[in-house]
Amino acid sequence: MIHPNSSRRLQTSLRIIQIIILAVFLLFLGRLVQLTVFEFDTYNPISERNSIRQETVNPSRGLIFDRNGVLLVENTPVFSIHVTPIDFNADNVPLLAYLMNIPEESVTNALQRARNFSWYRSSRMFSEVEFDVFSRIEENIWRLPGISHQIESKRVYPAGIRAAHVLGYLREVSDADFRSTNIYRLGDKAGRTGIERTYESYLRGETGAQLRRVNAFGQGIGPYSDGMMDRSPVRGANLQTTLDAELQRLAEKLMEGKVGSLVALDPNNGEVLALVSAPDFEISRLSGRVDRTYLSSVISDSTRPMFNRAIATRQPPGSTFKPMMGLVGLHTGLVTPQTTVFCNGGYVRGRLYRCTAIHGNQNLEEAIMNSCNTYFFHMMNRFANTIGLNEWHRYMQTMGLGRLNGIDIPSEQRGILPDSTQMDQIFGRGRWGLGDQINLGVGQGVVSATPLQMAIATAEIANGGYWVQPHVVRAIHHEYGEIEYANPTKTRVEWIQEKDLEPVRVGMRRAVTEGSGRFFANLQSVPTAGKTGTAQNPHGRDHGWFIAYAPYDDPQIAIAVIIENGGFGSVSAAPIASLLIEQYMNGEVRRQNLLRDMLNFVPRESTIQR
Amino acid sequence: MNIAWYKDFDWLTVLIWVAITAFGLVGIYSATLGPVSEFLPAHIQENFAKQLTWVALSLVVVIVIQFTSPRSFQQLSYLFYFVALLLTASTIFIGIEVNGAKSWLDFGGIRFQTSEIMKIAVILAVANYLTSRRNIEAVNLKSAMVATSMILLPVVIIILQNDTGSALIFLPLIPVMLFLSGLPYGIALMMISPAIITYASIISWQYGVAATLFFTLVIYLLQKRPWLGITSLVTGLLLVVAVNVALTDILQPHQRNRIEAFVNPFQDPQGAGWNIIQAKTAISSGGIYGKGFMQGTQTQLRFLPEQWTDFIFCVIAEDFGLIGGGLAILALLLLLMRLLSNAVAMKTPFAQLVIVGVVTILFTHILVNLGSVMGIVPVIGVPLPFMSYGGSSFLANSIMLGVCLNLYFRQREMSPFA
Repeated sequence: MIHPNSSRRLQTSLRIIQIIILAVFLLFLGRLVQLTVFEFDTYNPISERNSIRQETVNPSRGLIFDRNGVLLVENTPVFSIHVTPIDFNADNVPLLAYLMNIPEESVTNALQRARNFSWYRSSRMFSEVEFDVFSRIEENIWRLPGISHQIESKRVYPAGIRAAHVLGYLREVSDADFRSTNIYRLGDKAGRTGIERTYESYLRGETGAQLRRVNAFGQGIGPYSDGMMDRSPVRGANLQTTLDAELQRLAEKLMEGKVGSLVALDPNNGEVLALVSAPDFEISRLSGRVDRTYLSSVISDSTRPMFNRAIATRQPPGSTFKPMMGLVGLHTGLVTPQTTVFCNGGYVRGRLYRCTAIHGNQNLEEAIMNSCNTYFFHMMNRFANTIGLNEWHRYMQTMGLGRLNGIDIPSEQRGILPDSTQMDQIFGRGRWGLGDQINLGVGQGVVSATPLQMAIATAEIANGGYWVQPHVVRAIHHEYGEIEYANPTKTRVEWIQEKDLEPVRVGMRRAVTEGSGRFFANLQSVPTAGKTGTAQNPHGRDHGWFIAYAPYDDPQIAIAVIIENGGFGSVSAAPIASLLIEQYMNGEVRRQNLLRDMLNFVPRESTIQR
Repeated sequence: MNIAWYKDFDWLTVLIWVAITAFGLVGIYSATLGPVSEFLPAHIQENFAKQLTWVALSLVVVIVIQFTSPRSFQQLSYLFYFVALLLTASTIFIGIEVNGAKSWLDFGGIRFQTSEIMKIAVILAVANYLTSRRNIEAVNLKSAMVATSMILLPVVIIILQNDTGSALIFLPLIPVMLFLSGLPYGIALMMISPAIITYASIISWQYGVAATLFFTLVIYLLQKRPWLGITSLVTGLLLVVAVNVALTDILQPHQRNRIEAFVNPFQDPQGAGWNIIQAKTAISSGGIYGKGFMQGTQTQLRFLPEQWTDFIFCVIAEDFGLIGGGLAILALLLLLMRLLSNAVAMKTPFAQLVIVGVVTILFTHILVNLGSVMGIVPVIGVPLPFMSYGGSSFLANSIMLGVCLNLYFRQREMSPFA
């Protein structure tokens, strides 16, 4: 069928085809060698980059415990959405907004914020997204290059105590903060108030890095080289506070619905057992993503819930000032324990300074017990005339009044404790006189104290004249078992002597057993010493004060309470302090009726001055 | 069949077939059942098992083919051709669309790509036509036209199916089959030259012109006919111009992108250049020894789309490096060479033409596939024979191989002197 000579041609043709195929295959082999051997260094890094992504691992923030190991603050997982602007396609904004169920504008704004930070680094777009939103994003992550998600943590408060003014809340770091430091990323949270702020550097821990293998869609699919190159985060240090959870809880309950504050200290070392400022706020609603309506309601509240009254209020201490006055009087020799002053219902010096009653002859002990103003007007008058206001100022200041005592909670205020310079500033040079000073003797006029300062002064009376540094954190437990103990100072107030303390203590003891404290503060189970105060308030109801320590012969707790507009200290502040002492010393409150009454306590208008 | 039939059987080809298939199966396993395969859809994870089934089925078919007389291929070739043509045409109406190409028929859940079976049908029919007539020697314009039409007819249908890649595979049959049956060297070269000139023009128009001049010279020297040289020159230059016009004006943006991406993939690394960059990265990062079985990050992390099909070579090269990839290429080369040397040894032109046709089809697949993944030609989606996942492709290729084995095994029955 085919010509014989064409058969030979066929053979030749087949050979030609073989040669062509061979040539092409050699080309392929050559290309393979080129790629795998000579261009290996070009392409291998691409493959590594392709498959590895560095992710930040947030350390878990340190936990906070009370003095007995009760967990006060812990972390719970929350979900957040991150963006790397360079990889994110702006066309996906509507999709992301749809998945997040928020207006596109919010997405655009968040994206812009991230871009302002960096085009190339991942930053947090949305914090604390709902779980179902989070899972919707996760399902669609392949449609959203540049978007990633993370599980982070949020503070929760399992003990059922608020301690808003002690613990403080976290907030996203400000632009300025994270630009000036290198430790935060956009959207990181840092302590804004309370010990969360003071101990931020301990609680925060160290950020770790994790290398993850990712696929072409950016889905993380496991660790890279079994995590050998990962830098694990260092957990933040745990704080052991000096708070007593039970006491704090009761204190908060008692202060609820009132305006005021209290501080309870261990008089021997300055440990803060409870610290409440009322009204307070829910830190859990301000930690992390801010509940804006709640925040604005807290800020606009006229009672100023954010204001930490316990360490920053400026209220005159009233009669609770008298024990300290007594110490100063005894030390300076203006009075002796036996010195008596006749109280005729007031003290006349240029004008009448009223007393609460006609007490007759009063020595110091009795003057404290009965809260006799006349005695202390008299003493202050002599002090101003013979020793001078500046010495008075110095004595009081060494006790911890009118100055910062260095508690480890931010925004402590020194308050007002005048010397002559300050008097000049307040009234004008030479325009103040004896009348403005006599008032100071009973804690009125241009003098203020915070419950913290009063509690410290009370502690000094209780502990034999030692100023103790107030502190909330007792120990810092680092991750690897290392413990750093707080080292608060305890210094002797050199002018306070044991012999001078005795009549003051007895006076305070008798104030509870026989004086104004006898109704609500005289605990059968725990011998208590205390002093009530009712500070005049030109703007409304008087403020009720009470300072106390217990047990009388072996003080374990020193406490100062102010109930603003509470009227008499003896009926507003004293029962609260007394209930707390009962709780702390006995571990329970037996006077349930009193407790119930105090929970429902509505401050009354006071009719009698002091 | 005589008693010592096993002496005549081409065991070497079968061995190479097994080797290539094994490479493919290993690659498919790595790409679909790797350590992070849980991120893949379930039906993809079944691919290995499905492919294994198709391999077994193909083996049975290949064995069955050995029991048929080689003459029947010749006798039934036109019938095959028309049946295959009908099947292929029917997909336009009752076919299933996969990846935009309406080229699949569904037989009770089993999908089959009709263009695959068309390949062997065309080869058999054209070989029969070219060898059954006297003096075909393609100088006879009419017979050459008929043969060409027989090849172009399915090409048109497959283009209508919107599966241009598969259609292109048929085109090289025209010059090769005609060349084998007497088309002069120069003419055959002239038929191939446009493809090469186009390829060169895509890279740059200077290359296109150079290629045109080279081919004109060679064609003129081979045929010594001035008009042929002039035709070649004019055609070549027109082609260079046409390619440049097409690149700038005619082609759709996505087609243009694909070609531009071939020339410079890094122009659009996230878009058109993605496949080329990731394929080259996969192959290159395997290095000499490879990253190890199922350790290739490009593969496991799915930086290549559907790597168990068209990009299977990347998987093999990434996992097993230059050594594994090189062996795979050598196995393919060995297969083609073995088939061609069988053809050389044979006496029947029909058998020779069929084998060369099969080799041409397989070679075109390999050329386009390996060229694509190694960045030598623009990315065109065709499978790598016996390696890529795909049942109908594997079966069709096996049938082609089975026919070649049969023609060699039972060549005596075909001899005009038998």
